[in-house]
Amino acid sequence: MAYSFPEEVLEHVFSFISSEKDRNAVSLVCKSWYEMERWCRRRIFVGNCYAVNPKIMIRRFPEVKSIELKGKPHFADFNLVPEGWGGYVYPWIVEIARGYPCLEEIRLKRMVVTDESLELISKSFKNFKVLVLSSCEGFSTDGLAAIAANCRNLRVLELRECEVEDLSGHWLSHFPDSCTSLESLNIACLLSEVSFSALERLVARSPNLKTLRLNRNVPLEKLSTLLQLAPQLVEFGTGVYSAEIRSDVYASLTEAFSGCKNLKGLSGFWEVIPAYLPAFYSVCSRLTTLNLSYATAQSPELTKIVSQCHNLQRLLVCLDAYLYPIQVLDYIEDTGLNALALSCKDLQELRVFPSDPFVADANVLLTEQGLVSVSEGCPKLQSVLYFCRQMSNSALITIANNRPNLTCFRLCILEPRAPDYVTFEPLDAGFGAIVENCKQLRRLSMSGLLTDRVFEHIGTHGKKLDMLSVAFAGESDLGLHHVLSGCDSLRKLEIRDCPFGDKALLANASKLETMRSLWMSSCGVSFGACKLLGEKMPGLNVEVIDERENLDSLHESCPVEKLYIYRTVAGQRWGSNKVLKKALLVKESD
Amino acid sequence: MSEPDVIKPEMMRSYIWLQTADGSIQQVEQEVAIFCPLICHEIHAGMGSSKTYPISLPARVNPVTLSLILDYCRFHQVPGRSNKERKSFDEKFIRMDTNRLCELTSAADSLQLKPLVDLTSRALARMIEGKTPEEIRETFHIPDDLTEEEKLEPLKNITDDPRIRLLNRLYARKRKELKEKEKLKNVEVEAEHVDDRSVDELLSFINGENGVKTVKNKKKNRRRKDQQKNAPESNGISSVGHDDRVKGHCLPNINELLKLQDSEDDRFGLEDEFDDCDIGDGIDPEIKEQIDREVEDFARRLNSDWPERVQELLSLGQERRPSLYTVNGNGCSARRSSSTGVEKHEK
Repeated sequence: MAYSFPEEVLEHVFSFISSEKDRNAVSLVCKSWYEMERWCRRRIFVGNCYAVNPKIMIRRFPEVKSIELKGKPHFADFNLVPEGWGGYVYPWIVEIARGYPCLEEIRLKRMVVTDESLELISKSFKNFKVLVLSSCEGFSTDGLAAIAANCRNLRVLELRECEVEDLSGHWLSHFPDSCTSLESLNIACLLSEVSFSALERLVARSPNLKTLRLNRNVPLEKLSTLLQLAPQLVEFGTGVYSAEIRSDVYASLTEAFSGCKNLKGLSGFWEVIPAYLPAFYSVCSRLTTLNLSYATAQSPELTKIVSQCHNLQRLLVCLDAYLYPIQVLDYIEDTGLNALALSCKDLQELRVFPSDPFVADANVLLTEQGLVSVSEGCPKLQSVLYFCRQMSNSALITIANNRPNLTCFRLCILEPRAPDYVTFEPLDAGFGAIVENCKQLRRLSMSGLLTDRVFEHIGTHGKKLDMLSVAFAGESDLGLHHVLSGCDSLRKLEIRDCPFGDKALLANASKLETMRSLWMSSCGVSFGACKLLGEKMPGLNVEVIDERENLDSLHESCPVEKLYIYRTVAGQRWGSNKVLKKALLVKESD
Repeated sequence: MSEPDVIKPEMMRSYIWLQTADGSIQQVEQEVAIFCPLICHEIHAGMGSSKTYPISLPARVNPVTLSLILDYCRFHQVPGRSNKERKSFDEKFIRMDTNRLCELTSAADSLQLKPLVDLTSRALARMIEGKTPEEIRETFHIPDDLTEEEKLEPLKNITDDPRIRLLNRLYARKRKELKEKEKLKNVEVEAEHVDDRSVDELLSFINGENGVKTVKNKKKNRRRKDQQKNAPESNGISSVGHDDRVKGHCLPNINELLKLQDSEDDRFGLEDEFDDCDIGDGIDPEIKEQIDREVEDFARRLNSDWPERVQELLSLGQERRPSLYTVNGNGCSARRSSSTGVEKHEK
């Protein structure tokens, strides 16, 4: 661009560039692009709320309309992060309330959100439209009432797997009668009843409502009422899907479902009574997403459903042991997963959860066959989360050969350190085949018996790997070293119960500054190594999380319980009042 | 619509005249040209109907881009075409080299031809997506005028910059080295010189201080000396924050940089200051030259290979790794935990 290229035109070009990565690249091209880009950046994604100070963000990007923040590390989902660790959103809300009065969207994941924060949000942004809280906690229905009451133009309110203190089901009534802008309402995680009449009136006056996900307390009998009020729905989540079997209820439900011509996604289905399942058969052929993961005690109905869902792209199921392919005498029984492989050629994502993982019934085998079948039959399969009891290298190799287009592969063999059930060897070769064949693999989660060899494979081939989750694997520091030195795109690494110590970590210290975060728990990293890292690497926060009482007298060579390292430009843990030098020590009792 | 002054009886169409910035004039079918809002406006204002009164097009439109734009207009102004046809034409149309595409975008914008602006802008956006900053610069032939500091994680808090800490440490080393060199040289030359050429003077020279007023120097040097005590410590923040001179000359604040209109050299501003130095400041010119070169070299190396510097920095305080492959894993006792792995029954 040697000649003049007017700013407005360049800005117009930038308006077509939306990915975070691309926008960051644009801002680093030259001074004028940097300036232009910062003024027209509208969406910010902060993967770690402690990596950045909101004041800096506001100063650099003055005209942001949408913010997404993430707080606790992923392993918080397994209760590995103690209470009080952090992830408090309030200090952020205070700053952005001041800096971005025109903010429209807030999305939070794994953060502690208080009623105070929700109230502040509801009063600070006159044009607020979207609030999505995923895996958040710390608030009650009072906070929701404030959002309902004060956000005049609210379009989206989604609570995904949050822990909400239910004080009253009447918070829904706080939506004023004048509020007709709602497009998406997800209250699936609320545990107690909401006022049905308030819900009904809200749905009736929301002509743009496209997504409605109810909680389990909404009875099946009432579903048809709601569906008839909102036949334009695209995504619908039922409540409990069981009731006394009555033909009138069944008939009205069937009719209501068939009236929803735009329905593409279904979820909910707590406690399914199979007799009611055919009520939604009329929408099956249009479905692209089906989430049956809460449905327990499924029957062969699944096969019938799946055989009709020819356009299915995303399926989440909780399989009863009976539905896993089992070997009876010499043949494999036909099951739901085989039906899936035959019928759903557009399938892109599959998540299979076991209904009761801890059942140690010897007659029940959750095998690998179902996954192999699906990998053969579904050419577009990209993302897999699969729980099972047994796995073999040959199955993994077959899957890798069938589906080189996999981008996300998460396998959870229920027994830690389970070897190949046929050869009793480690599963190194199998996972190695996955990383070698699936060149676009971005996320990998492993289980079973694994030695340092699998890490060597990952380091050699996992060049696009962005997130790796490891448990009960490896033999020595060499394993960790392979990953840290070989995986060029690695941003998130989470490790538990592996024999990794100081050496690999310290030798690859500079790698840590290129990653978002590293979590290690129940490994062998010493306190001394943590302190050294904290002192030498000013771009990192090194957090030691330990339950033991006498943290101050912790010996240098003593291994720490949990370690969380992340890169940051915000310096010391911002907003915390427990900072001690560079290594932050957190006592669980505090 | 105005009638053309010169009617060509053999042609039923009307034509209008356009002139590009280079002076050349051409004739274009009116129905094609009016597709451009700017031209349409001019026609309604009475322009373009004859060769003597052509419509002057904006400077950003040259004959080549005009020709392309007219091709675009000629195709799209025909009403009967289907969306599929139009889309297909567009896809083929924008296949051109980057420079041409930029020119075309710019020209289309100046003629207010929004559909073409959108088409070309999207194409440019696609050329930018997925590239690193360096690749983008190469594609569009944009010079790199951001300094290393600015490139570093633009959200960085300047007072926490590891490069500043690094710089302080390297200064300390450099000072030490120079001091050693001075000692060696002075043994051969004059003993008294050791006193005059103190480390602080050298440092202030490096930092671009005007060496003439020795009183002033000494004052600043004293302050610098105090700060030197702090510099090697891990908290290098205070030495940067409080020393405005250092900040002003060597480590410009990012915000200040952004306000600069001219592009800056890809170096710390160390070298600008050397012009100020007088011959009569008491420093041997030969040594001065050597220092010039060394510091210049130092700055250049600092800028180009700082990741290696960080590694070096780390190696200053810890043992290196050769024993990595022979160490047994630090076995840890198995800990009981409530979950079995890394996957949750999240739904």
